[in-house]
Amino acid sequence: MKNNFPIFQNNPDLVYLDSAATGLKPASVILSEMEYYTKYSANIHRGLYQISQIASDQYDQSRQIIADFIHAKVNEIIFTSGTTASINLVAQTWGQQNIKSGDEIVITQMEHHSNLVPWQQLAKNKKAKLKYIPVTSDFLLDLKSLSKLINPKTKIVALTHVSNVLGTINPIKKIIQTIKKINPKTLVLVDGAQAVAHFPIDVADLGVDFYAFSGHKLYGPTGIGVLYVNQKIYSSIPPSSFGGGAIKEVFWDKTILDNPPFCYEPGTPPIAQAIALGQAIKFIQKVGWSKITQHEQDLTNYLFQKLTTISDLKILGPNNNGQRLGVISFAFSKPKSPAPHDIGDLLSQKFNIAVRTGFHCAMPLHHLFGFDTGTTRVSLGIYNTHQDIDKLINGLNYVVKIFS
Amino acid sequence: MDDLYKEIILERYKNPKNLGTIKGGIQVEEINALCGDKIKIWLEVKNGTITDAKFEGSGCAISVAATDILMDMIKGKKIVDVQQMSGAEIENEMGIELSSVRKRCAYIGLEAIKKIKNSLNNL
Repeated sequence: MKNNFPIFQNNPDLVYLDSAATGLKPASVILSEMEYYTKYSANIHRGLYQISQIASDQYDQSRQIIADFIHAKVNEIIFTSGTTASINLVAQTWGQQNIKSGDEIVITQMEHHSNLVPWQQLAKNKKAKLKYIPVTSDFLLDLKSLSKLINPKTKIVALTHVSNVLGTINPIKKIIQTIKKINPKTLVLVDGAQAVAHFPIDVADLGVDFYAFSGHKLYGPTGIGVLYVNQKIYSSIPPSSFGGGAIKEVFWDKTILDNPPFCYEPGTPPIAQAIALGQAIKFIQKVGWSKITQHEQDLTNYLFQKLTTISDLKILGPNNNGQRLGVISFAFSKPKSPAPHDIGDLLSQKFNIAVRTGFHCAMPLHHLFGFDTGTTRVSLGIYNTHQDIDKLINGLNYVVKIFS
Repeated sequence: MDDLYKEIILERYKNPKNLGTIKGGIQVEEINALCGDKIKIWLEVKNGTITDAKFEGSGCAISVAATDILMDMIKGKKIVDVQQMSGAEIENEMGIELSSVRKRCAYIGLEAIKKIKNSLNNL
């Protein structure tokens, strides 16, 4: 598998365990982006000349690939710059229009700052109430709390599909059913940033209203992301930025906007990135979900088993219960142990191992469980091997020895 | 032994010499949100000169060791002079060269002291 990722030709010893931050890119994705610039570099939907038409076709095709990938309709896919932009788009357009003083917004205690701060700011500006679904001591969402938290004032629930710290997979379908049973008008936004590269997503089956994800965590390029919007609710989302490509007709005194999704995408989009994202999805489909999920589950089991052999290592996340992904955050519990930064620095310098250290954009969650100096996070991708994990464990044992 | 984590750094991390608080001292704190380092510093200043310096905090080995070493470096110095110090002087004293990310850990104590308002310099 590593042969498919050119970065390993340039860094043969690299042990990359930070796929939750960004996925590495397969050659097909890199080539596809380069091909746009070298073979048909033209703007889309404007030129009648040949290369512009090729660019337009490739761009449109990519939107279709993405729609099929998550079982959406093609006009339900809005291109954004990433998950953060997708969530902000909802908070700033739908939120501006629909949230009023006294309304309630519900999120969870395990959100990435990207799915927390936009709602916190919106609630503050609108004098709305922001409520949190608690995380239990076994690092799962407290679903029993839903009956108390959701009420007729609840306008939206925004929650993550997979926690970028805990690795917990939330039972989204069940949660949405529960929410809609209490208040059918409550909309649900799911942050899929950590999910899309690891198991199949079916937005129709989940019953979700908004689904946000990034291209770069899906082994695609940076700068491109997706907001899925259930087409039934488009009318409640007024576009908030305007310009070329998003309009049908412009007069001196008024403008007729284009249909969704185009009215949300003014300006020249990241064309090469959008096209290459389609190729990233094709890459995943070529490998196949059964192979990906099996491989990553095997590695998660192995990683869990190995990490638990290291004494005083405390995992911030659920046990290996089959309802979690290979995103494992941990810290040493004894005082004067190596801090996350020390671990990350030593692993990199001595062993060329890439892990993430700190709060992983989830500060309140770390404080909730007393991990006040952050954690070291290991996250797996399609290219990782048992050998990578052996090297990590060897590196961690070395760090422990240095500090003993 | 690793260069970055040589004996002096690890020793200062495990057993800092200047741990504690100073009653009635000037108190400042600084956090490094990136990694969760949190340092509180107490300075006793007489006639503009730092007569004692102590700190408390949690963080990585580099931030704790660097702050402990900094406390030694600044005692007896004018606070105005300390506020002009560069981070490189701490690195020099530690005898290590840090990456740009780790510099933020090592400079945390100095950043805290730089926040002390000038009006206090005449204490």
